[in-house]
Amino acid sequence: MLTIENVSKTFNTPGGQVQALKDVSLSVKTGEFVSIIGKSGSGKSTLLSILGALDNPSTGSIIVDETQINKLSGAKQTQYRAKKIGFVFQQYNLVPNLTALENVMLALEFGGYPASSRLDRATQLLTSVGLEDDQQHRRPTRLSGGQQQRVSIARALANQPAYILADEPTGNLDSATGKKIFDLLHDLSRSQQTTIIVVTHDLEIAGKTDKTFTLKDGKITTK
Amino acid sequence: MNVVTRGVKNAIRSPLKSGAIVLMFAISIALILSMLVARGSVLSKIDEVKATAGTAITIQPAGVMGGMGGGDPLTTEQIASITSTANISSTTSSLTDQMGTDDTNLTASLELGSFGARQQRFDSSSSATTTPAITDAESTDTTATEETTRPAPTPRTTVTGTTDANSVSTTGGDLTISSGATIDGSSSDKVALVGATLATKNSLSVGSTFTAYGETITVSGIYTTGNTFQDSGIIMPLATLQTLTDQAGAVSSVKATVNSSDNVTATVAALKATLGDDADITSEAEQAASSVESLQGIASLTTAGVIAAAAAGALIIVLSMFLVVRERRREIGVIKAIGGSNGKVIGQFIVEGLTITVIGAVIGLVLGILVSGPMTTSLVTNSSSTSTTETATQGRGGRGGMGGPGGAFQGASQQLNTNLTQVTASLTPQIFTAAVGITLLIALLGSAIPAWLTARIRPAEVLRTE
Repeated sequence: MLTIENVSKTFNTPGGQVQALKDVSLSVKTGEFVSIIGKSGSGKSTLLSILGALDNPSTGSIIVDETQINKLSGAKQTQYRAKKIGFVFQQYNLVPNLTALENVMLALEFGGYPASSRLDRATQLLTSVGLEDDQQHRRPTRLSGGQQQRVSIARALANQPAYILADEPTGNLDSATGKKIFDLLHDLSRSQQTTIIVVTHDLEIAGKTDKTFTLKDGKITTK
Repeated sequence: MNVVTRGVKNAIRSPLKSGAIVLMFAISIALILSMLVARGSVLSKIDEVKATAGTAITIQPAGVMGGMGGGDPLTTEQIASITSTANISSTTSSLTDQMGTDDTNLTASLELGSFGARQQRFDSSSSATTTPAITDAESTDTTATEETTRPAPTPRTTVTGTTDANSVSTTGGDLTISSGATIDGSSSDKVALVGATLATKNSLSVGSTFTAYGETITVSGIYTTGNTFQDSGIIMPLATLQTLTDQAGAVSSVKATVNSSDNVTATVAALKATLGDDADITSEAEQAASSVESLQGIASLTTAGVIAAAAAGALIIVLSMFLVVRERRREIGVIKAIGGSNGKVIGQFIVEGLTITVIGAVIGLVLGILVSGPMTTSLVTNSSSTSTTETATQGRGGRGGMGGPGGAFQGASQQLNTNLTQVTASLTPQIFTAAVGITLLIALLGSAIPAWLTARIRPAEVLRTE
């Protein structure tokens, strides 16, 4: 169970203070596939960063499985990200000089997975997201956008996280590939009871999720 | 793949960029090592020159230089005051004379040449036979004239009387006796050491006799110095020459040895106070000081070189790693976002920095070992070329005009010049350790900067710019 209570986030910019989130509250049940929609600058990515303990709210609290993560130390938040959260980014954000396999093994290393079985686990994950054997040994620059996003999803799944936070996962893909990636995430939420929170501006995708939150000017307007 | 493997792999992920950084760093390390080696060699040589030159003081009658000039010899009283001066541990006295055909039955082995003939033109006129054309003093002829006949100049043989025959050595060390035995400089025996060239010219060997100043002298030994002038001379005990030349107690040069190099300056001052204007006093330490001045300049230059090369090396690594971290901010943010701790990210960059540093250091140290020798030799050769040229332009058979009393001192001076050109690059363990130490310091500095930068990167800030 993930609960956000009265979260606000203010940034100090050269032009003055900017309030990205205003008193946001919501909850997501375990295994739910949730989408957050909104226009550019509405606060979607900021909310996702706070959920993933990449950033702390100015006020309010984020409670994940009875733990208030915004009160954790930096080291504990890093552990939380490594073991409980899987990130999928619009730009994939794979480490460029590592192969697909090595990118997944990197997440396994951070999650404390035994070194001896990391390769097998990474191979299995990449195979499960549909990456061919020869593609698994390629560096990101030699993979297509769709293939890179599959690697990104495999990396997010590496440590069997309770939550996958996906920021515009299909934003850089063509519609056919985007649909495949969405279906992959959807299947995961169903088969592994993984809670998936997707930030998107694609209403069609949002329409297929269990729950959709709409953000406008930092406020939740629709639940 | 762990932190170390990733760090090493990252260090070579861009071979061209890493290669350029490694090359620049290697050059700075090679410079550091070369400068350290040059500095070590030069400082060591400065110590050696100072130690060699150290404690000798030469006292000559004022106005005398190498048998030329004028003035009176040093007296017995002056010698006594020199000997009794504080801190002087020993003295060697010398007297030099030139023997012509009237003085000895020996044939001089030096060719007179135009130079030698020119030196004798005044002597010849003073000893010329003057024949009055008109001897009648009462003559009323007011146009009396004189016809002066100058005899042809003849080569002479230099004879040195000394209390220590080794003082004639041109190397500053002991005189080389090729046959026979050396003489006792404190005796008044009618014995002599004969230079190898003169001995050959006159078919002299140990036990042979020759005539000098009307006395029969026995050859005690044959010496060789490798110097044409010296090898054409004779060495006798000082008292013997003083007696033969009717110059009892006269001395034309005293070489005094001071008990410590620290006391040389004070002793020179004391001697100048005692002897006043009657003597010219010079110390080897003063000559050495001017000789090593250029070496000290090189030592300072190399110290500055070490600092500059170390600063350049550190700057290369720090700036390179700074740029690396800057261009990989997103990657660092992603690694942190997926659970990479600060420790792991910092460790990775430290290994990356160390890998580049170590590769550069190894190449640089090898390069430094190869170039340090020629570089040191080049620095010293260029610096000492002036003094070397001056030495080289002295002709054979001539030394300080007609030679003589300055010989011993100039022998030591020649040794100083030889030392200057013999500076060899020596890579001691201490110098190598210093170079490695500086390299490690640079490596740590080069790694600490990116470590500090990566720790400051917050993943949310990096990913927000998507």
